[in-house]
Amino acid sequence: MIESVHFKNFKALIDATLPLNRFTLIVGPNGSGKSTAMQGLRMARNPNEFHFLDVVTAPLRDAGDVIVEIGIVFRIDKTDVFRGSGWKYVGDTFGWFGPEFKLHSGQLEHNFQETFASFLNSFQIYTFDAQKLAAPVALVRNLTLSPDGSNLAGVLDNLRDKEPERFETLNEEFGRWLPEFDRVLFDTPSQGHRSLLLRTRSGHRIEASDLSHGTLFALAFLTLAYLPNPPAILCFEEPERGIHPRLLREIRDAMYRLCYPEDYGEKRSPVQVIATTHSPYFLDLYKDHPEEVVIAHKDENGVHFERLSDKPNLDEFLQDAPLGEVWYSGVLGGVPSNP
Amino acid sequence: MKVAVLSESSADEAAIRILVNGILGTETQEVPSLPLRSRGWPSVLRVLPTVIKFLHYRTDAEALVVVADSDDSPIHQSIHDQAGGEDRRCRLCQLRGVSGDERSRLRPVPGRSELKLALGLAVPAIEAWYLCGIDPQVTEATWARRLQSERITYARNTLKKKVYGTERATIAVMTRHACEAATRLVNDLSQVELSFPGGFGSFARDMRNW
Repeated sequence: MIESVHFKNFKALIDATLPLNRFTLIVGPNGSGKSTAMQGLRMARNPNEFHFLDVVTAPLRDAGDVIVEIGIVFRIDKTDVFRGSGWKYVGDTFGWFGPEFKLHSGQLEHNFQETFASFLNSFQIYTFDAQKLAAPVALVRNLTLSPDGSNLAGVLDNLRDKEPERFETLNEEFGRWLPEFDRVLFDTPSQGHRSLLLRTRSGHRIEASDLSHGTLFALAFLTLAYLPNPPAILCFEEPERGIHPRLLREIRDAMYRLCYPEDYGEKRSPVQVIATTHSPYFLDLYKDHPEEVVIAHKDENGVHFERLSDKPNLDEFLQDAPLGEVWYSGVLGGVPSNP
Repeated sequence: MKVAVLSESSADEAAIRILVNGILGTETQEVPSLPLRSRGWPSVLRVLPTVIKFLHYRTDAEALVVVADSDDSPIHQSIHDQAGGEDRRCRLCQLRGVSGDERSRLRPVPGRSELKLALGLAVPAIEAWYLCGIDPQVTEATWARRLQSERITYARNTLKKKVYGTERATIAVMTRHACEAATRLVNDLSQVELSFPGGFGSFARDMRNW
């Protein structure tokens, strides 16, 4: 699991450390580095694929010798390993470096570099697009859900064929979320293609393209939660988008299913989930787990991240208002300075 | 009898209805198409006048049941029930104040009797009620000691873990455990009233006075 990520001169993150848990929800104003932090994790995998000028903090583009670094502290077998990588502009030459590893303490017997690489390589940032979710899919082996939600029909089709019990449980769960539906069905719009339909309890078949965006988003979240081998790190940008506030609890539960498989009778490894939100309603759901919430602050010194559980007297604040309202009020920070 | 339940989740609602049926000794009916929800304290306090108004003018509901968590607020005491004895920090007293004000403002509706009300305060959360008869440590008296800064064996999150097996249970898991617990509790309501005299005892008395 990634314990924390330090960003130096990376876009809006001039000197910021993002603490992470198995599940982390980041709240903050627009432009406070929430999405940038996720991008940074992705770009840190293979710094050679990106140019210095794509990643450096804008005012430093012409500042002479500059190092851009993303340092990830990763916990393996109770030992913290530091992985640093980044970009540099030194003596008129652009370049990149890393990954460089440092063991903070103890010894690791296995090849942690490989473990780390496979962990980071399965990293995905999801921002679902309803049209992509609804689109028919050309069937190929080992389809995965794309960052925009493409391939959903194919992924579900695979799940039905390879993990029928999981598929059945997913159907039951989806029926609890949206009681008007009782089953995910498939169609073959052309040879080698699959499309998705939902059957209503009254027996009508609704094509994916006719489903509401929120329904498709909900199905995508649930699909990820029921995969037998989901990616090791998942990021979700504004998972509340298109979802009714009362259904947000179910979306949270789907994410918890990914992060805490042992609590849901799953035998697979935990997934580390990072999500961002602007929804007070979604934030309300984390009142009992402030250690899972990170507030992104933006001020004249740049962006910095702070765990909600590190706020003094938080319990007292939450006696008087739901967490989302307390955040909206501004007393916790992580809100726009104006308006 | 048509009874509306204002709660934080469908799991709480299902369990509360079982408790209500057990206390009243009759099977109550839901108000059709009205799954009331609150976003926890204090939004329950804010939404309560609207709910009361709506039920009175727009439905044939005979009664409304509300249960709030006390969290770290003071526990309801019998002295609060005396005239002038209300504690403004006690959530049950606050709910009574708000609902009383609203009901006094309602205009009579021909053919409609006064909306009955039962208010409960789960100390510190409804999971404590579910553990009644299982964990004798979990009582209002124990929680009162915690409010006086004494170390006790449980916290709000550990109650959830004890009841649901995890601090992060799904609604389906919560509903199953909550309903099992409520079904068990109605077999010995006197024990729940003994362990939770302020929050559950007054809730049960409200209903018995209907």
